[in-house]
Amino acid sequence: MVESAAGKIDVSDIQGFVLKGYNFPHARYLLLELGAPEAARAMLMPLLKIVTTGERWDPKNKPLSTVNIGFTHRGLAALGIPLESLLSFPLEFQQGMHARGDILGDTGKNAAENWDAEWREGRVHAWLAVNARTSEALESRCAEMLQLIETTQGARLIRAQDACALFIDGKVSTQEHFGYKDGFGNPDFKGAERRCTPGQGKLDENGNWQALATGEILLGYADEAGELPPAPDPHLLGRNGTFMVYRKLHQNVATFRRYIAEKGAEYPGGPEKLSAKFIGRWKDGTPLELSPDAPNPAIVNDENRNTNFTYGADPDGAKCPLGAHIRRVHPRDAFGFNGGLVNRRRIMRRGLTYGEYVPQNQPVSDTDEHGIIFIALNASLYRQFEFIQQQWIEYGNDAHQGNAKDVLMGNHGGKGRFVVQGTADPTNPPFICGGLPNFVELRGGDYFFIPSLTALAMMATNTVDPR
Amino acid sequence: MANVSGRTYGLTILSPIIEDNSRIDICHSMELRWYLSQLPRDHRSPFAKISSTYLARLVVMDDVVFVGLPACEEHLKSRYLVFETNFDGDLDTYLRRMATETGDFVNAVWSHCVGFPGTANVDAFIAYMKKCQIETTFFFADVNDRTVDSTLKALHTQASLAEFMETHQSMPVAELQQAFGRFLEELKNARPLPHGGDESRDIPQERRPNG
Amino acid sequence: MTNINGKAYAMNAITPMKPWKTWILRLVFFILGAFKSKQQDLIQLSFIHFARWVIVKRDAFPKLSDAQPAEQLQYDYLLFFSNFNGTWDQYIDAFSAVLYDGLDKIWKWSEKYPGSRPVTGFKRYIELVQFDTDYYFNVYPHATTNDVKAAFKVSDALTEFAKTSQSLSPTEFEKAWLQFQIAVTPHLGMTGIAPVGT
Repeated sequence: MVESAAGKIDVSDIQGFVLKGYNFPHARYLLLELGAPEAARAMLMPLLKIVTTGERWDPKNKPLSTVNIGFTHRGLAALGIPLESLLSFPLEFQQGMHARGDILGDTGKNAAENWDAEWREGRVHAWLAVNARTSEALESRCAEMLQLIETTQGARLIRAQDACALFIDGKVSTQEHFGYKDGFGNPDFKGAERRCTPGQGKLDENGNWQALATGEILLGYADEAGELPPAPDPHLLGRNGTFMVYRKLHQNVATFRRYIAEKGAEYPGGPEKLSAKFIGRWKDGTPLELSPDAPNPAIVNDENRNTNFTYGADPDGAKCPLGAHIRRVHPRDAFGFNGGLVNRRRIMRRGLTYGEYVPQNQPVSDTDEHGIIFIALNASLYRQFEFIQQQWIEYGNDAHQGNAKDVLMGNHGGKGRFVVQGTADPTNPPFICGGLPNFVELRGGDYFFIPSLTALAMMATNTVDPR
Repeated sequence: MANVSGRTYGLTILSPIIEDNSRIDICHSMELRWYLSQLPRDHRSPFAKISSTYLARLVVMDDVVFVGLPACEEHLKSRYLVFETNFDGDLDTYLRRMATETGDFVNAVWSHCVGFPGTANVDAFIAYMKKCQIETTFFFADVNDRTVDSTLKALHTQASLAEFMETHQSMPVAELQQAFGRFLEELKNARPLPHGGDESRDIPQERRPNG
Repeated sequence: MTNINGKAYAMNAITPMKPWKTWILRLVFFILGAFKSKQQDLIQLSFIHFARWVIVKRDAFPKLSDAQPAEQLQYDYLLFFSNFNGTWDQYIDAFSAVLYDGLDKIWKWSEKYPGSRPVTGFKRYIELVQFDTDYYFNVYPHATTNDVKAAFKVSDALTEFAKTSQSLSPTEFEKAWLQFQIAVTPHLGMTGIAPVGT
C-alpha cells in the first residue's frame, strides 16, 4: 500500500494500466468475445496471477510486458454477473458507446456504419491488453494469452488490434501521425505514484498546482465534489476499478498535410505556426502560452515548465487561440472560479498510435492505416469523457466559440471554421480557417469497466453478490 | 422595481384555472395542456409576433410539492396557469400588444382561466392580467440593456461578418475596402432574422452544421 | 422535450417555506439586489439568459371570483424560473461547484433543502421540486448568452469602424482593418443547433 496525503491507495489491488502510463512502445489489444460463463471464468482464474497491478516496479527490473483486462457491459453479462449488479452500473456504461452516438456527435463520417465490424456489431466483450518493451516480448506474451484462451475455451479472439509508438530514425518517439509530440497534460491525482508535475492537477486559490481527488479516476474514493462517485453494487465490485473509453481514431494524414500546406501558405505566420495554433503547442510540444513565437526545447525538456502555464494573461487568445485543442480540453484557469468548473472534467489518457510513421517529405494517403487508439480513464464516463466530447470537442460554447468544433478532432463534415485570434505583430495576425474537413474519423470503440484484482477474483469465482 | 432589470421586464402571472365539477364534458387544465402542446414554438409562435419577447413560458401548475416528513402535506384548491415572460419595454405596452396582436391565442389560452374578460376590451384585459401578476422578488438578466430587435440584428451581423472575413482574407487592401463598403450596405438592407428562429434562414446555407 | 427550445432550458421549481422564514429571504434578495458585486459571479458564469425568484405568500395566490375557493395553506412558496444554456446536469454541477454559497443562502429557508454540496443529494432535491414546462418560446434558439454577448461586442465594434472605414486612405484602412480584426476575432463563434439534451 502506498500512503498518500489523502489516505491509502491499495496499489496491489488496482490494475497497473490505471495507475501508471507504462510508456512501453508496443501494444496489442486482444478484443474478445466471451464463451459460456463457466469457461470464461475458468479463463479468468489464471489471469488473477498474471494481470499487472499498480505495485511499484524496481526501475532496474521492469517487466518485459504487462497484461490488463477490461469488460464491456455485455461482457459482464456474458460472465454471468447477477442482474441486480449489472443494472447498478451507470446508465451510459450499460448502453455502450454505440448507443450514445447522438450525445458524442458520432454521426456522419463518425457514425457506426463506418466502424470496424466488431465495434459496429457490438460483439466485443473483453479487452485483454498486452503492453511490451520489445516486439519479441509482445509476441511471446500474446502467444501465452492466446494459448490460455484456447485451452480454457473461455473466449474467441475477434480481433487483435496492434498499437505502437512511432519510431522515427530508429528511435521511439511520443509523436503522433500529424507530427505533434503528445503525452503532456495527464492529471495528477492523490495517491498516484508519480510526482506532481506543475500544470497537471488543479489550481488552488494561491495559483499552485495540486493533485486532483482520487475519486476522479478511481471508484471508491472521494471525488472533487466531496462524495464517493456512483459505483456498481456490491461495493467491492466497483472499488479500485474505473471506466475506460476506447476509441479508434483514424487520421487522414494526407488531408491534414494538404490543408496545413494550403492555409499555411496564406497564413503570414507560416505552416508550422498554424499547426501550433491548432493544438496550442508547437509540434515539439512547446506551449504557445510560454513561447508564442518559436518552439523552445529548453521548456519542452523541463517537466516543471512544459505544462506549467495558465491562460489568465491571454484572455483574447492572442498567444494560444481560444479554440485551440489543449485550451478546449483543459481550460485550466480560463473559466475563473479557481478551476471549480474544470476539476471534474479531467480524464487520464493512455492511448497509443497505430500504423507506420511516414516522414513529412514522403507521400501518404488518407486510406493508409494511421491513427490513434484513444484510451481514457475516468470514474464517470458521463460527467468526464462524454461531457468533454459533447461540450468541448463537438461544440464550443464554453470556449466562447459558439458552435465551432475542435479544429483537429471535430466532426466538421467540410463545413467547420477555426478562428485564430491575433495581434498587430505581422507574424501573428488574426486568421480564419474555413471549410474544415474531418482530419480524424472514428472507426469504432466502446466503454469498458477496468475491475480491481478483488473484483476480478469475485467474477472468476462467481461470487459477485449484490445487496 | 423588482420586476425590472435595465430595459428588461420580468413578468410573472399566476392565473387560476377554471375547475368546474358540475360539467363532465370539459376539463380546462387538460384542454389547456393539449392546446399548448400543439402551439408552434418557432417563428410561427404568437410570441414571435409580440416581438419584444426574449423568452416566454406557459406552465400548468397542478399543485404545490410535498417534500416529505417532517414537512406538512398540503394541496392547492385550484390549478394555476403560470406565465413567465422576459421582454424589453414596459408592461402596459406588452399586455396591450398581447390583446391586440395575438388575440386568438390569448383567448384560446386564458378562456380556461377564472375571471378572464376576453381581449375585446383591452383595458379590462390589462387589469385582469395585473390582478394575476405576482411581484418578481428577484430578477436576474444577463444582458439587460438591449432590445430583442437589436439582439437579432447583432447576431446576424456577427455571422455575416465572420463569413465576410473568411472569404476576403487574402484580398488586396484597396479592393478589400471597397468590398467592405458593399458589405456594410448589404448589412443595412439585410432582412431581419425571424423571431423564434428558423435554421434554414438565419444560418447561411454553406454553414449549416452537421447531423 | 418541452423544457428545451434551441439552446435554452426552462426550469421551474417550487419549494415550501415556513412563513416566518420568508422575511429573511426577502432580506437576502434585497442585499443581492443592492450590492451588484454579488451578481458578478452569475454574470461571469454566463449560463443564464434570465432567472427569477418569486415569493408567493400563502394568501397571495390570485383569487378572481367568489366561486373560486380561497387557498388555505400553511407554507409560503418560493417559485424559481430559470432560462439557461447547457444540459441540466452541467447547470447544476456548475452551481454546486462554484456558487454553492449563494444557492444555500437562498434555498436554506425552504423545507428539507439538503444543501448544494455534495451535488448528488442536491440533484435529487431539485428533481423533487422541479415541474415541467408546457410551452417554451425562445426568440434566438440558436444562440447562447455567450453568443449574444459576443454578437454585441462584434456589432458595436463594427458600428464604430463603419463610421470611417470608407473615408480612410487604403493605407489607413489597412491599419484600421487589422485593429478591427484583432478586436472582433475573439467573438466570432458560429451559432446553430444545440447539442443533444441541450
